[in-house]
Amino acid sequence: MKTNIVVLLVMAAYFTAADIGYAVWTYIDGGAVEPIGTAAMALLVVLSIFIAFYLYSGMRRTATLPEDRLDGNIEDEPGEIGFFSPWSWWPFAIGAASAVAFAGLAVGWWLFIVAAPFAIVGVVGFVFEYDRFAHAH
Amino acid sequence: MATITQTSNPTTFTPKRSKGQILVDWLTTTDHKKIGYLYLITSFMYFLIGGVMALIIRAQLTLPGLDIVATKEQYNQLFTMHGTIMLLMFATPLFAGFANVLMPVQIGAPDVAFPRLNAIAYWFFNFGSFIAVSGFFTPQGAASFGWFAYAPLSNTTFSPGIGGDLWVFGLALSGFGTILGGVNFITTIITMRAPGMTMWRMPIFTWNTLVTSILVIMCFPPLAAALFALGADRRFGAHIFDPENGGAMLWQHLFWFFGHPEVYIIALPFFGIVSEIFPVFSRKPIFGYKTLVYATIAIAALSMTVWAHHMYVTGQVLLPFFAFTTMLIAVPTGVKIFNWIGTMWRGSITFEAPMMFALGFLVSFVFGGLTGVILASPALDFHISDTYFVVAHFHYVVFGTVVFAMFAGFYFWWPKFTGKMLNDRLGQIHFWILFIGFHTTFLVQHWLGVMGMPRRYATYLPEDGFTELNIISTAGAVLLAISMIPFFWNLWITYRYGVKVELKDPWGYGRSLEWATESPFPRHNFHSIPRIRSESPAFDLNHPELAAPEAKAAYREEGRI
Repeated sequence: MKTNIVVLLVMAAYFTAADIGYAVWTYIDGGAVEPIGTAAMALLVVLSIFIAFYLYSGMRRTATLPEDRLDGNIEDEPGEIGFFSPWSWWPFAIGAASAVAFAGLAVGWWLFIVAAPFAIVGVVGFVFEYDRFAHAH
Repeated sequence: MATITQTSNPTTFTPKRSKGQILVDWLTTTDHKKIGYLYLITSFMYFLIGGVMALIIRAQLTLPGLDIVATKEQYNQLFTMHGTIMLLMFATPLFAGFANVLMPVQIGAPDVAFPRLNAIAYWFFNFGSFIAVSGFFTPQGAASFGWFAYAPLSNTTFSPGIGGDLWVFGLALSGFGTILGGVNFITTIITMRAPGMTMWRMPIFTWNTLVTSILVIMCFPPLAAALFALGADRRFGAHIFDPENGGAMLWQHLFWFFGHPEVYIIALPFFGIVSEIFPVFSRKPIFGYKTLVYATIAIAALSMTVWAHHMYVTGQVLLPFFAFTTMLIAVPTGVKIFNWIGTMWRGSITFEAPMMFALGFLVSFVFGGLTGVILASPALDFHISDTYFVVAHFHYVVFGTVVFAMFAGFYFWWPKFTGKMLNDRLGQIHFWILFIGFHTTFLVQHWLGVMGMPRRYATYLPEDGFTELNIISTAGAVLLAISMIPFFWNLWITYRYGVKVELKDPWGYGRSLEWATESPFPRHNFHSIPRIRSESPAFDLNHPELAAPEAKAAYREEGRI
């Protein structure tokens, strides 16, 4: 966990330095800050710090996990690892409906309007697949 | 070479199923390995489609004044879709394929973190790619504005027709698939490692998957934004990329802000593949594990800040900044090459097919890297920008990396995928034809570029003096195409007559966790996971006397050595 945070923070530090350098240099060189690259790199800083902060807040609330211990053994993580869907129709349904909807953006609104309800049903089905009936958990 | 033998495994036995059951199984699968195979199969098909387009392009350019392609517009469609297919429908999903199959096994996980999201990512890629190429079935044909779709050429005034619209929205959909896949890989690597598998014990391939996925979530959203803006311009009358609003430069910045990291998205995972192969066939641990990881991270960070080196000739970018950052990338890349050579140095090397392809990668990639430094220098770039020199450079980098490392990975992991080894002699024949064909095709294009042959022109004049080198290049392309025959023959005879290896580690010196489980993989990857005390747990398990110090200490306590 700590390694991931450090990697992201190192990236954030580099992007900050590069962004400031780029903004100042373009200002000196051309009389105006080049807005597109400056904004894009600034967003990279935000993204890196955002994920790093999320990981940090997770790390603070948990003990050192077996996978982060140098002497971790396989049996240190007993019980269920998690729930893994054995198979599902919903990814294919969402994929197909979204594909028709995206093609509709290129072809015409009528196709988009036909596909959109199927995509919504797909998303709802996907989200609630393991909330109801026999597979609920 | 066998270290652990075992008899036929009853848990992998599956009863015979009807064709319908098999089809439903593949359509509804959430198994990371099956989704990985779907990615590998689909992307390889696009590789073949893009390859046929390349052959038509080469045929058209063999001699001056040919009319193999009926119209110049069709020629434009061919090179546009060749680039689009090879970058976004072959190389990028190929990364997702290898990462899906191998990364969870290498970290000792039963599946990825979000199995259903993984399936969505695949279907988005598959359907999105189909939408993008379906322009070929429309009357006006597919997109023809070049794979980087510069504004204002890509607007409806200069590129009318539905092919361009399908290209925009198809790529947007497949781009979402790539982002979802990246998120899934990052989450899996952070949360699903087996106990003892610390970050600094992960195989290099897994490290590179993590860093590549971080690059994906950094650079694909700008592409999605740019594509939706372009779609709004083309379909709904927006004016975002109008030249009078500065749209031409906005598009180039946004596109290359995605486009350059994209090159590393398709390079880093394949660096990871060869980093797995060199140690196994050199009988040595990877040389400089940590520096390899640092180099990967450095390449990733630097690659986000070099995008405008594609835009030197616009005259509107800060040349020294981008030249400097671009040349800096040569440093971590050089570190990697040093590490690979150090791994082989004084090793006990054998030259099986995976090793040959990995070496072919190394040679081709070094050439491409050297011409990259030339192109990074603005003074040199102005002369050769948009000529065949650039074409030769990026084919050396991208073909050298993706295709050679892909075949290396196929030959290396085929026993893990299917339980059968591919024929090595056919692999050697495949390698040499591919290697000679590739270098014949692209080496001469450097000189064509220096002589001034521009890229993307449908033909040239006899007086230009390009004819001889173009004939050589086309001959090489034919050889390259022929090299696929031994490969397919190999797949067929292995499928038909191959013998199950029944070994966990058929190469004998496999290092990471995938060599500690059955071939082919069982449903949730492991029946038991060995103790993890170094970055090569399978090697420690099979060769305790040569294991890493920490693993050796544990074995000594147990009295195994």
